[in-house]
Amino acid sequence: MMKLTAATSGFVLAAAITVLFNTALSCAKDAYTPLKVVMKSVAGHDWTTQGLIDLALFVGLGLIFMSTRAAERIDSSHLIASLIGAVVIAGLGLCIWFALV
Amino acid sequence: MNISTSDVILLAHAAFGVTGCLAAVCVFVEVLNAQPANAVRIRTGAVVVAVCMAGAWICGGYWYVHFYPAEKALILAGPWPFAHNLFMETKEHLFFITAILAFLLPITTRERLYSNLAARKLVLSVAGLIVITGLAVEGAGAVINHGVKVALLRGASRGSQ
Repeated sequence: MMKLTAATSGFVLAAAITVLFNTALSCAKDAYTPLKVVMKSVAGHDWTTQGLIDLALFVGLGLIFMSTRAAERIDSSHLIASLIGAVVIAGLGLCIWFALV
Repeated sequence: MNISTSDVILLAHAAFGVTGCLAAVCVFVEVLNAQPANAVRIRTGAVVVAVCMAGAWICGGYWYVHFYPAEKALILAGPWPFAHNLFMETKEHLFFITAILAFLLPITTRERLYSNLAARKLVLSVAGLIVITGLAVEGAGAVINHGVKVALLRGASRGSQ
C-alpha cells in the first residue's frame, strides 16, 4: 500500500483525537456543572462553545501534525483503524453515557 | 398555510443532513471505482458533503439554541422523556463527530485515489462512517420529533375529556 501525504495523515490523526475529546468533553460537562456554566459563558451556549472547541482542535492539531509530519510515520492501515476505532468508541461512549446517567 | 421561521430552519437542518449523507454515499460508490476520470467528481462530492454538514450544523445549532427549549419542556413533561434525555443528548454531541468526518473528507480526497490503495480505503472508511453516524443522527431526530408529538397528543386528549 502507498503512503498517505503529510496533510492527509495529519488531519486523520487530528480527527481521531478530536472525536474522542468530544465525547470526553460531553461527559465532563454533563457530570460537572461548573464546566458547563463556564462553557455557556464563552459563546452563549455550552453546545456552541463545544462545537467551536472541536473545530479549533481539529484544525489546530491537523496543522501541527501536518507541519511536524508526526502522523506520516504511522502506518496507513493503523491510522485508518485508529480513526474507525475512535469513532466507534466515541459514538458508543456518548450513547452509553446518556443512557446510564 | 402557516410556516414559521422555526419550521423552515428545522426542515433545512434535516434536508442538509440527508443531502450530506446521500453525497457521502455517492463519494463511497465513486471511490469503489476510482479512476482519473472520476477524480474531480469524487472531490466535488466530498466538498458537497462538507458544505451540507456545515449547513446542517448552522441551521440545527440555531434552532437548538433558539427554539428547542420549548419543545424540550414538552418532551420532558410527556410520556417519552427519553426522547430528550437519551436521544437528543446523544444526537447533539454525536453530530460533532459526523461534522468533523465531513470536514476531513475533502482533505482525504486530495490523494490520488486511483493509484493509492491506502487512500482509497481511508476515503471509503470516512465516507462510510459519515453515512452511519449521519443516519443515526437522522433517526434520533425522528424519535425526538415523535417525543414532541406524543406529548402534544396526550395534552390534547386530556383537554378533550
